[in-house]
Amino acid sequence: MSDQEDHSEATNRYDPSGIEERHGIIPTWLGIVYAAMLVWMVWYTIVFWSDKG
Amino acid sequence: MSTVATTVFDDGRASPTSATAAGGLFDRDLILKFMAAGAFWLVFAPTVGAIVAIKFNYYDFLGHVSWLSWGRLRPVHVMGVVFGGFSTTVIGLTYFIVPRLCGVPMYKPQWGYSIFWGWNIALVAGFVSLMLGYNSGIEAGEFPLWVSIPVEIVLCMVAIQVLVTIKRRTEPRLYVSLWYMAAAYIWTALNYAFGHFILPYSMPGVNNAAMHGLYIHYVVGLWITPIGLAVAYYFLPLAAKRPLYSHKLSLVGFWALAFFYPFVGTHHYIYSPIPYWTQTIAIVASMMLIIPVWTVVQNFYGTFVGGWKNFQESYAAKFIVIGALYYLLGCFQGSTEALREMQRLTHFTDFVIGHSHLTVFGTFVIWATAGMYWVTPRLARRELYSKGLAQWHYWLTVAGFSVMAGDLTLQGMMQGTMLQAGTDFVESMVAMKPYWIIRSLAGIVMDVGAALGFWNLYMTIRHGKLIEMPAAVPVDYLPEPKWS
Repeated sequence: MSDQEDHSEATNRYDPSGIEERHGIIPTWLGIVYAAMLVWMVWYTIVFWSDKG
Repeated sequence: MSTVATTVFDDGRASPTSATAAGGLFDRDLILKFMAAGAFWLVFAPTVGAIVAIKFNYYDFLGHVSWLSWGRLRPVHVMGVVFGGFSTTVIGLTYFIVPRLCGVPMYKPQWGYSIFWGWNIALVAGFVSLMLGYNSGIEAGEFPLWVSIPVEIVLCMVAIQVLVTIKRRTEPRLYVSLWYMAAAYIWTALNYAFGHFILPYSMPGVNNAAMHGLYIHYVVGLWITPIGLAVAYYFLPLAAKRPLYSHKLSLVGFWALAFFYPFVGTHHYIYSPIPYWTQTIAIVASMMLIIPVWTVVQNFYGTFVGGWKNFQESYAAKFIVIGALYYLLGCFQGSTEALREMQRLTHFTDFVIGHSHLTVFGTFVIWATAGMYWVTPRLARRELYSKGLAQWHYWLTVAGFSVMAGDLTLQGMMQGTMLQAGTDFVESMVAMKPYWIIRSLAGIVMDVGAALGFWNLYMTIRHGKLIEMPAAVPVDYLPEPKWS
């Protein structure tokens, strides 16, 4: 297991609630969604900034 | 790391004694009072909603008494769900979650009872005032001034308690619920004042409409959403009995919400005299909410992977999971609804009402309900009174709500299509009558489910079977009841 995988699997425990959380990852599919949305945001803002009638 | 208080109750069971006074982290009696009040409002407000829905088909239902008219009851329903049922419950859960995550008792715990009574008396005064016709005219900000002032004071008091408690915490890290909670209380203390003290008295015309759009969406996006997410993020890993899937995703979700949501509000005014670029920013921000929403949903379902057996055994888990599904559907609907072509189709139709129900009730009220199912038996130290009633609550809610949301969405698109085809508006309304009947019946089904469920939780507090406890337990000891 790589260091990066070790890190993402590392857990932290919050006392006294007993909640645990993994450091975790951002799944690839979600990263693609982020990138696509950001590109779309720039495109839409530029194209639709003003009413062209 | 925090230390757990070791004070012991005489009988080691539920006690009306203030736990914080006895050296514990939280006050069981206070939180259970909030749960009971929240349950009451969560039956009351949707029932008013059902009456309002029936009036669509039978306008003279309940006669011609002015204070039972549609225009008076509709704000009671909206304010009742938002500030009555949902907010009462999440404020109560705040008194449980914040000390448990900070490792210290709530700052000024003696404020808790004043806040409880002040909040609930203000709500009663607010609903009576609305029914008497006193309305400030701002949707979701309709309480008159004499009600808004105590509500604002309460919100500020809880905000101070939350922020100072976080500052005094012994737990070094801030769990995601605390980020959302701190932000929700700061944003809402400001936004409530904006909506109730500034908007009704200034800014006439289109500027007021634009600011109204911001206010109402700040209620949804900067109060209901973050405080609801705080509750869900807290109970998710506990109900799933699994570590939260990803701290990294919770960071992305929080900051994306904080960055994009403030610009969403004016998306209700597409094709209006509001500047075109303002509308475009609102559309873009609405679509970009796909990022925090999908992030949260991935985090929630990722947490359950490997722990689905706990889904079978916990009503808190069941409500969180179904709420996450409605969150995905409702927010995707909301994002795409902002697009100009979708606005053209859906504006002035019940599509919008379907969306608001999917998010406010389907997601956040349901997540608050999950919190109630987790907290109530543990704090009462009693088993859930009836698994059967909980089962009815869950399935009547799911069935009734799914039909209602689907019906409103479908009828909205049909009416929008009719209007685009040139049908007269009144004729399009007549065509909607069968859908309104289905909506009313579905709402009544939901209300019956809610009444059964919250009666079940009330009976759990009063008559649930006492859980066998060890001989000596810490004052904050939480037993592990079945089914919650």
